[in-house]
Amino acid sequence: MPRNDPTDTGGLFIGRRPGTAPLRYRAAPTRASERRRRADAALAALVLVLETLLVLSVWGPQPVAWLWVGSQVDYRSGSISLALLLTFAGMLTTLMFTLGVASRMDRAWRILRRAAGHEQQEGVLPRIFGVTAIIVLVAFTFWFVILEGPAPSLAPR
Amino acid sequence: MRRFFDYYRQFEELAPDEVSRELRARRDEEKARAVTEQPALDLSSPAWHEPPHAEIVNAATFALRRAVNAYPDPEAGALAEALAARHAVEPSQIVAGHGAGELLRAGCQAILSGAGAGGEVAIAWPGWGPLPRLVHEAGGRPVPVALSRDGAGDPTALAAAAGPQTRAVALASPNDPTGGTVDAAAIRRLATDLPDGTWILLDAALADFDDVDLAPLTLELDRLLVFRSFSKARAMAGFRAGYAVGHLDDRELLARLAPTLGVSAPAQAGMAWATANEERHLPRRRTVAAEQRDRLAAALAGSALAFPTGTGPLVWLSSGAHTGAQIAAHLAARRIFVTPGTAWGDDRHVRIALRGQAATDRLTAALGDLAPRSR
Repeated sequence: MPRNDPTDTGGLFIGRRPGTAPLRYRAAPTRASERRRRADAALAALVLVLETLLVLSVWGPQPVAWLWVGSQVDYRSGSISLALLLTFAGMLTTLMFTLGVASRMDRAWRILRRAAGHEQQEGVLPRIFGVTAIIVLVAFTFWFVILEGPAPSLAPR
Repeated sequence: MRRFFDYYRQFEELAPDEVSRELRARRDEEKARAVTEQPALDLSSPAWHEPPHAEIVNAATFALRRAVNAYPDPEAGALAEALAARHAVEPSQIVAGHGAGELLRAGCQAILSGAGAGGEVAIAWPGWGPLPRLVHEAGGRPVPVALSRDGAGDPTALAAAAGPQTRAVALASPNDPTGGTVDAAAIRRLATDLPDGTWILLDAALADFDDVDLAPLTLELDRLLVFRSFSKARAMAGFRAGYAVGHLDDRELLARLAPTLGVSAPAQAGMAWATANEERHLPRRRTVAAEQRDRLAAALAGSALAFPTGTGPLVWLSSGAHTGAQIAAHLAARRIFVTPGTAWGDDRHVRIALRGQAATDRLTAALGDLAPRSR
């Protein structure tokens, strides 16, 4: 058995750097043909696109949809509080649901990448979230400051 | 459809808690085995059984991280100065190499290359095992010369064996495998008695276990090459580090011993630290080796087993009643592994590398079964 105590190894910690351990499968996977692997790679790319679209929906379509629902509730009930409550609750619910679906898609993407022959350790979901958040923030800032501009909405045109 | 999903399911990684469970199960199994199983005790390797001083590893690691892309200093200047100060010689008398063995190989080739066919090297035997092969490879013929009774190289016999074809005589102090030592007077006498032009190759790989430093003799004796190692008492066998010391007039030959592009930077750094701070690690190992040698001698007193009084951790053990192969087999049955003397062409002995007290006690108990002490 290799010794990894620093007192046994002349002061060195013998071990892997964190995050560099190889993937551990239940049993060594049986690889399919090259054609199947190419198909898996294409499928992984498709899943990635869908996952990105799903995450993008968190930053635009979903809030807009719930704002529309809120406006309808306000119109029909005349209660702004109820509309706000429903809008935020709805947004949170669909966000959680989307995260659940996205995380499953991410797992499927990892498995497809491995089936395609890559040593895929990590998922891509956090990166998609970060990148889409930055893109949406930049786009919103551009629309808000340059295209729309805050002043016309404060003062009469 | 099931087969389709099963294919992808095989690419699912194990969850961290499953991995931990597996590792814990393996560890438990090893622990359970350790309780019932006698661990093997390897006493066959002459390398020191413990790791080197932690600062040696630190110095080597630092050197490696600092400039691993750069060539090391081919002259190993800082190291040569530290070694020169340690032996009270000139830095230009020292050449660093990839261990005493490689330097001896280079020495044999340098000395025998100009000798033509039939150049001989008289070797105090039994000595360092690979030396005859190195002489052969260099185109020479090794001539074994018996040791003196105390297991040391015999200067008189070596000088007597040196004939017109002899290019060098080789001896070790302390001698591997017997532990016998020679002193400065013996080397001076040998140098005087040898025919002109004959080199003395002094293998001092185990010299860190001895109080006597023979390297300063190179100030007065030309054609003396002293080979030192960092693999034994310095516990740096994995570095492949050593050096040779020669007379100032032998600088041309010394230059031929040096590796083409020098010794690696980590090895240089490790050797430099080990040399400058040897009082921090050598005395303890010297004491351990001496104590265990005495302990084993005391335990075997009165039995059929004996070994020459000597220096260092290597013991050349023989029995009046058993062959070396029988001793080795007896110990191997108790999971203690030693080197049979047949490796030196001797069927009466085994070589044992001593370790700490626990190892000596286990060895003593095993040998006690073979040759009980007479009351």
